[in-house]
Amino acid sequence: MSARLTEAGEARARELIRAHRLWERYLVDRKGMPLEAVHAEAHRREHETTPEELERLDAELGHPAWDPHGHAIPAPGGRVPSPPGRSLLEEGTPGSRLRIVCLDDETAALLAQLVALGLKPGADVEVLEQKPNLLRLHLDGNIVPLAAAAARHVSVVPAPALPVPLGELPAGSQARVVEAYGGGKHQRRMLDMGFVPGAEVTVIREAPLGDPIEYRIKGTAVALRRKDADTVLVEELRDE
Amino acid sequence: MNEKRIVVGMAGNPNVGKSAIFNALTGSRQHVGNWPGKTIERAEGVFYHGDWEIHLVDLPGTYSLAAQSPEEIIARDYILSGEPDVVVNVVDATSLERNLNLTLQILELTDQVVVALNLMDEVKRQGWEIDVGALEAALGVPVVPTVATEGEGLPQLAAALREMAEGRRQLHPASVDYGLTVEGHVQRLEADLASLGIDGRRRWVALRLLEDDPEIVEAFKGGNLSDCCLREDAPSVSSEALQAVLRRAARLREATRPDARVEIVRRRYEFAHDVVHRVARRLRPVEESLTERVDRIVTHRLWSWPIMLAILVAVLWVTIQGANVPSSWLEGAFGWLAQVTRDFLLEINAPWWVVGSLVDGLIVGTGTVIAVMLPPMVIFFTAFNLLEDIGFIPRVAFNLDRLMRAVGSQGKHTLVAMMSFGCNVTGVLTCRIIENAKDRIVAIVTSPLILCNGRFGAGLALIILFFGNRALPVTLVYLAVSVGAMLLATWVLNQLLFRQEPGGFVMELPPYRKPKWGQVIWRTLVYQVGHTMGRAVMIAAPATLLIWLLGNLPPGAPFERTAIGWLVRTLAPLGRPFGLTGEMLTALLFTLPAKEIVVPSLAMTYGLQTTLVDSEAILDYLAQTWTPLVAFSFLTFFMLYLPCLVTVWATWKETRSLKWTLMSLVVPLVTASGITFAVYQGGRLLGVS
Repeated sequence: MSARLTEAGEARARELIRAHRLWERYLVDRKGMPLEAVHAEAHRREHETTPEELERLDAELGHPAWDPHGHAIPAPGGRVPSPPGRSLLEEGTPGSRLRIVCLDDETAALLAQLVALGLKPGADVEVLEQKPNLLRLHLDGNIVPLAAAAARHVSVVPAPALPVPLGELPAGSQARVVEAYGGGKHQRRMLDMGFVPGAEVTVIREAPLGDPIEYRIKGTAVALRRKDADTVLVEELRDE
Repeated sequence: MNEKRIVVGMAGNPNVGKSAIFNALTGSRQHVGNWPGKTIERAEGVFYHGDWEIHLVDLPGTYSLAAQSPEEIIARDYILSGEPDVVVNVVDATSLERNLNLTLQILELTDQVVVALNLMDEVKRQGWEIDVGALEAALGVPVVPTVATEGEGLPQLAAALREMAEGRRQLHPASVDYGLTVEGHVQRLEADLASLGIDGRRRWVALRLLEDDPEIVEAFKGGNLSDCCLREDAPSVSSEALQAVLRRAARLREATRPDARVEIVRRRYEFAHDVVHRVARRLRPVEESLTERVDRIVTHRLWSWPIMLAILVAVLWVTIQGANVPSSWLEGAFGWLAQVTRDFLLEINAPWWVVGSLVDGLIVGTGTVIAVMLPPMVIFFTAFNLLEDIGFIPRVAFNLDRLMRAVGSQGKHTLVAMMSFGCNVTGVLTCRIIENAKDRIVAIVTSPLILCNGRFGAGLALIILFFGNRALPVTLVYLAVSVGAMLLATWVLNQLLFRQEPGGFVMELPPYRKPKWGQVIWRTLVYQVGHTMGRAVMIAAPATLLIWLLGNLPPGAPFERTAIGWLVRTLAPLGRPFGLTGEMLTALLFTLPAKEIVVPSLAMTYGLQTTLVDSEAILDYLAQTWTPLVAFSFLTFFMLYLPCLVTVWATWKETRSLKWTLMSLVVPLVTASGITFAVYQGGRLLGVS
């Protein structure tokens, strides 16, 4: 048997979820509460908030898109997006690099444990080993053991590729600049041409002798020698 | 003095149509010179709008005002100097974000800015729409859409300038927020500057200090703030206080993560990105552009080579073939002028030496130089400028950069070499496109090794005479020797003198565009042919007069007793190891004003005639007296030996250095001597005669 909410009931549920997640955001960002403690407090406050107060809270926090656990905050009257990512337990094959996007916030004790280990939304981990009830993860230079039962409550997506020097990308690739170097004359010129962090670059082609390389950046085509291109670090973008 | 006069500086990225707007507004009322102490062109012009006299100064094209190149320093210092009342920023509307990087920097220096949003026709063609009103609101200064090549929007631009001059515009220039960290540092530095009594542009100076801007740091170190254009009323500040500010700036810079220099540019681009996002709208999906399709072939791993070769050969062929007819016309015209002048002088009973020096020396000699130089120059440079105008030339630099890197240079050097095929003088002047000082010097000094059209044409006549049906392979050998010598000399100079200096290559590949004929012809005739021919005639006129005197003094003497006869005997021993005779060396001296006159010079040094005109007699004579080995040795030396005097003059102008000017003489002379020695002695050892 499956229970179904009426339309009005569904709207009310959405509003509560929105209030809950906004309050959690507020408690972490403004009150400095630990992540594992906010669930209960937000749960208490969500029922006492008028829609007007909620919108003021939203504006004050700068219309955040995510709660501190990594769940999306629905827009007013909008659908509740399904939690992003898949469970670390399913995805945790040895050798995979994953980014944590979301923590299940139902059990405070578990949450406290995850946070203490450094497993927060936004952190990247590499799975070293997978045993029936234990995962060994590589996180920020430390090896972290994690019970399979806990891993079930962690959602992950594949981690973006590690930044690579721009010169290493083959023709046709698309990438986003993550780091540029401001030192030398050519690097300064490259910054002015638009090779700044955040900029999207397309590798168009190599010259007939393999070097220099033509890039498209900020709507213009610029040729760089591989040696100079390598001073820019990028993350490759995959086609969506 | 007109009260209603304003000075307007024009700034913008390269390739955005700045010159087109400048030319369209000023027409022929312009003057081209150099920026003081620099070899960068400064064009000025005047136009009128109502009763306003508007004085335009075209600033060098730059991507930034970061003071990383002489162009950027000139543009920045000029805006800082307060001389321009208004700055027109010409912007390429098809790459708005990149162009706004410069606009936002200009707005940090002055609010008296009018933005000319150029290439609006291309924007439409590419399927974009730009909301000009919204852009104006975002930047806080007037924005005028233009299509410079069609003259569209230029009256509105002039009107906007006039409104600025009359103070009728409300300005709220956009200001970039550089983020908490940088802004915090800027505030502290601004406070420091204020406590030193420095006012005006404090925020700008503080930002430059954080960026470790070479010019500003230098000015602070030298204790002379007016050096970095902080206005003439800069207070005198103790150098310790300035050093303290520098130290603080360095500390703040080191404490900033990520790099403050990167962060400042990143924030500026972020701002520009937001503006573009708000004002530009795509109407149609992206299509593959013509540029993309053409480039796939022109820069192809295989096809690029035959294409570049074919175009180079075609340009040279058109030049040589096309120049024949106008050259003979000009020769006829000067012959007629000589005849008329001679008749007139004889009529008034002028003494023989007046008739001789004026007619046979000056008119015939200079006439020959003009007749052989002018037509090929016009054709070659028109063709080359067209290729540049449509955007082909940057592709050649892109294709060949790797090749030139092997000898320590870079892609733009190949353009200098190609220009030098037309004329070494223009080759030397073209070196201005190379920003890197080391690469530029090497390109200047080695460009005389490239066979110019003058040597090529004159040499070709001799090659055909001596090698008949083997002329083609021999010609190709000379071309290869010439290019090889240039590459070798470049490598040697880089190895000997510039081992430490890093080279580099950052170049925009602009989209292919329809040629702007008017501008191409204007640039060819006025800037290149006009300037170069003017100099050439000024050098050739006294030189041809001198040559006539050498060949005809003392009066009535037999050939052996003339000054030429003496020169031939004196120089003879010098040439022996190279298979060259005194006659040849003397003729080579005579060709220093213009290499084209080598055959008439030989006619004079062999005593066959006393004026510099072409004749069949000398060719018959040479065919009988020179062996193929001697001819080959002479040609080798002639192809490489010394730059013409006009090239030397240009080298001096461009380098302002005695050392490098001398080097531009030594390098070809040593190369020519070495190769000719090897050719002649090698030939003798092998028993070739």
